[in-house]
Amino acid sequence: MRECFSFDPEYINMNHGSYGSLPSPVAEAIKPYYALAEANPDLFHRFTSIDLIRNVRERMAKFIGAAHAEEVVFVPNASHGLNTILRDFTWNEGDIICSCNTSYKSISTTAQYISDIPPHPENAQFSILFPTSHTKIIQDWRAYLQSLNETRAQSARELGRRPKIVAIIDSIISVPGALLPWKEMVKICKEEDVWSVVDGAHSIGQEPDLNLAEADPDFWVTNCHKWLYAKRSCALLYVPKRNQHIIKASFPTSHAYISPEKRDVLNFVEQFEWNGTIDFVPYISASCALDFRAWLGGEHVINAYCHRIALEGGKRLAQILGTEIIDEGQDFQFTLNMVNVAVPFPPTMSSDFEIDMAFRRKLLIKKKIYPAFFYHNGKWWTRCSAQVWSQVEDFEFLGEAILEACKEIVREFGDGSEEKAIREIGKEVENLTLKI
Amino acid sequence: MSNTQSIAPVPIDQIVKATKIFSQRTLAPSFGHGFLPYFSFKQGYLNLNNGSYGALPKVVTEACNELMAWQEENTDFYYRIGFIPPLINVREQLAKLVGASDVDELVMVANASTGLGLVLRNFLWQSGDAIVRCNTTYATIYKTIQYIHDVTPGVQISEFQLIFPTTPQAILDRWTKHIHNVKRSSPQGKNIVAVIDSIVANPAAAMPWKEMVKICKDAGIWTIVDGAHSVGQEVLNLADCGADFFVSNCHKWLNSKRGAAFLWMPKESQKIMLTTIPTSASYVTPGPDRPETNIISQFQYNGTIDYTTYLSVHVALQWREWIGGEAAIHAYCNNLAREGGKILAQTMNTTVMDPNGEFTKAMVNVTLPFPSDFQAQYDPSIGTALSNKLLAQNKYAVTYYHNNIWWTRVSAQIWNELDDFKTLGNALITICGEIVTEHKNANVPQDCKADSFHLYLQQPIRGAVALDLNNGVGAPRPITTTKVTPVGYHTHLASIRP
Repeated sequence: MRECFSFDPEYINMNHGSYGSLPSPVAEAIKPYYALAEANPDLFHRFTSIDLIRNVRERMAKFIGAAHAEEVVFVPNASHGLNTILRDFTWNEGDIICSCNTSYKSISTTAQYISDIPPHPENAQFSILFPTSHTKIIQDWRAYLQSLNETRAQSARELGRRPKIVAIIDSIISVPGALLPWKEMVKICKEEDVWSVVDGAHSIGQEPDLNLAEADPDFWVTNCHKWLYAKRSCALLYVPKRNQHIIKASFPTSHAYISPEKRDVLNFVEQFEWNGTIDFVPYISASCALDFRAWLGGEHVINAYCHRIALEGGKRLAQILGTEIIDEGQDFQFTLNMVNVAVPFPPTMSSDFEIDMAFRRKLLIKKKIYPAFFYHNGKWWTRCSAQVWSQVEDFEFLGEAILEACKEIVREFGDGSEEKAIREIGKEVENLTLKI
Repeated sequence: MSNTQSIAPVPIDQIVKATKIFSQRTLAPSFGHGFLPYFSFKQGYLNLNNGSYGALPKVVTEACNELMAWQEENTDFYYRIGFIPPLINVREQLAKLVGASDVDELVMVANASTGLGLVLRNFLWQSGDAIVRCNTTYATIYKTIQYIHDVTPGVQISEFQLIFPTTPQAILDRWTKHIHNVKRSSPQGKNIVAVIDSIVANPAAAMPWKEMVKICKDAGIWTIVDGAHSVGQEVLNLADCGADFFVSNCHKWLNSKRGAAFLWMPKESQKIMLTTIPTSASYVTPGPDRPETNIISQFQYNGTIDYTTYLSVHVALQWREWIGGEAAIHAYCNNLAREGGKILAQTMNTTVMDPNGEFTKAMVNVTLPFPSDFQAQYDPSIGTALSNKLLAQNKYAVTYYHNNIWWTRVSAQIWNELDDFKTLGNALITICGEIVTEHKNANVPQDCKADSFHLYLQQPIRGAVALDLNNGVGAPRPITTTKVTPVGYHTHLASIRP
């Protein structure tokens, strides 16, 4: 399968999840569109690309199970789509924007920014700590939203009006790479009168049988350039008709923008058709990507393979490292095509970003292999992506490389026990001082 | 105790082989039709509209293919390490080209609309603030200002009317009065922000923008300059210009891949900029803990994009040096626009908007040969008919309605010659005649397809996987075809986007 991709032959790609990969056949298939764009730039940008992208949009809408094609538009990436949604809400004092400790960092900072500017809606955070289970998360989520509702009720009494709560939910968390029971969480949002904004960045092409009309989130975005093999950058923004009035404007604002009070028809699709000159071919490539995936055998065949390799490879890796897979106690219910394995560091190891940088030097640069590394709930983990080119042997090679790297890193940075001892001595001194 | 190992940056010139041609002593051809083989236009296509979407020279196209291949070789390396030094280098080169004092005054954005939108949306607007725009402000910016007014109660819009033909002095006199009035009617301590075009799109007009900026600055008004058409068409010296923000597209007149522009903001202006859009992971809440340069760090990564567009500026600049350099390019294009406009007006027996050339750089405006009673009322179907019929003839120049007249805006580029203007003129005579007849006989085709335009789009587009056996991959070829069906008149698209 590596023949279908254009990786450096020495590079073992175990981190497809971060940036995706463009298959060579898809790269070839889109060349005619680039040629068209230059053969007659005016014809392409005023007419041809608009028509082509409309067709592709309709195809993508069917693929994700949207009820209407007019509920799906292209945006450059999931961050852009989520920012569009969150900025288009009219925020008021007392409103609550809720993300998770596991939300993608830039989405957390987006929520932070919105809270930083007037009228300063409250920035709340739901906590997910692995190891955990779908059942526990669902339980905790319900309890959390209920507590937010108590806060809201209090604000409502003070303000004389009912604030809104907007929750950002990952369908699949980035780090750890973990499938959440997002559809149940969306249902609970509805029960608790909370807006559900789903960050589905990793979903399309990894989570088969998406049916958004059924799952019915309030908003949903996904990156086609991650697991669907489209060219960077290409993403979908899904807004069911009932919520399109919330989306006042695209970013940048379109010439098709109409002031909300003058808007007598929904112009959601029109607003997203042209937002400044960009390279439009990545949007078209999503269709070519679907063709390629159909040729490979289709969504179920692809994901069955990737899922199997993720589990087998993950187990092998955990064996070699002498550690565990993050959800092995829950029957791997969080694992689709990304598997998270603990890194064999001493428990006192520093959580500093420098450790990740060290792995980049030792693995990405030196050994040309690199899964994502992250620190979560007191431990370092590695997140490996399994793709159609992956084999269990890759995990074995990785295992040896990580073992070696870990030894070096502990030598270079220390194992954190010194710092821990210092902290403990410090506490002792404090206690003694208090006693005196 | 850190053990940092410096990772050597990979210069673009090591990655890209297509630009070997630049080191060859072979001179580039002289400006004119001799350059057509260096671009990828369809055979016989008369491109007189560089202004809208630019054009990518073949060399730059090949370099972009190599940059994209590099991106796929080891994507983690590229996105975590690889793209950073070349991107900084591009910013340095652009900063030098446009006369910025420091590389950290200049960041890359997708296009002018994005850059201007970013700036406008970063102001913390309050009731009583005012935004000054013109009737000629580019549609996306015009509407961005509308949007801000709509979502922030009490934000005023003050619109300055710009009607051509006119003179620079007349504009400055009226602008002074206008700014005076806005300032006077603005409550104490409120923000006033003016969006000023360096070169208006429709009509194409190089404005006395530095003087307009000064008038605003003297009145304590923020200035955001929409310089979308500037870089590559005129010399810029931003350190001296006095503006607070300046944005320009590299893919219009600078020959980069589409989707590359820069936003210039001197240190003082950066205080306004709280966040990129999308917000970056490196965003820090404004306050004493936030480093001054945080906004510049934020621009490095705000969501996964294809950096090839930004990196292509490096190759585009090399291309422009090779073909003769900025001064020579400007001289040729500006001269051709002026002379060509005269020829065009002569051919059609109409007039050039700006006979003295005070507003003319590489784009020129000429009235279309319509009877005056025909154009008394704005009829968008005329704009669409003009657009479609030009494309059917394998030609293109922008047409638009301004001051109760239909005009054409023609771009002069290094592949154009005087003859092109004559050819366009004759085509427009025929086309305008047809349109008048169609309207007279109430014979506007319902779905508005000119026959040859229809044929033009007949080629089925291969939208599917083509695994070439010769590639050694040896896979079968499932082909589906995406047929491009002409949709007829796109009134609001064709006539609004210049």
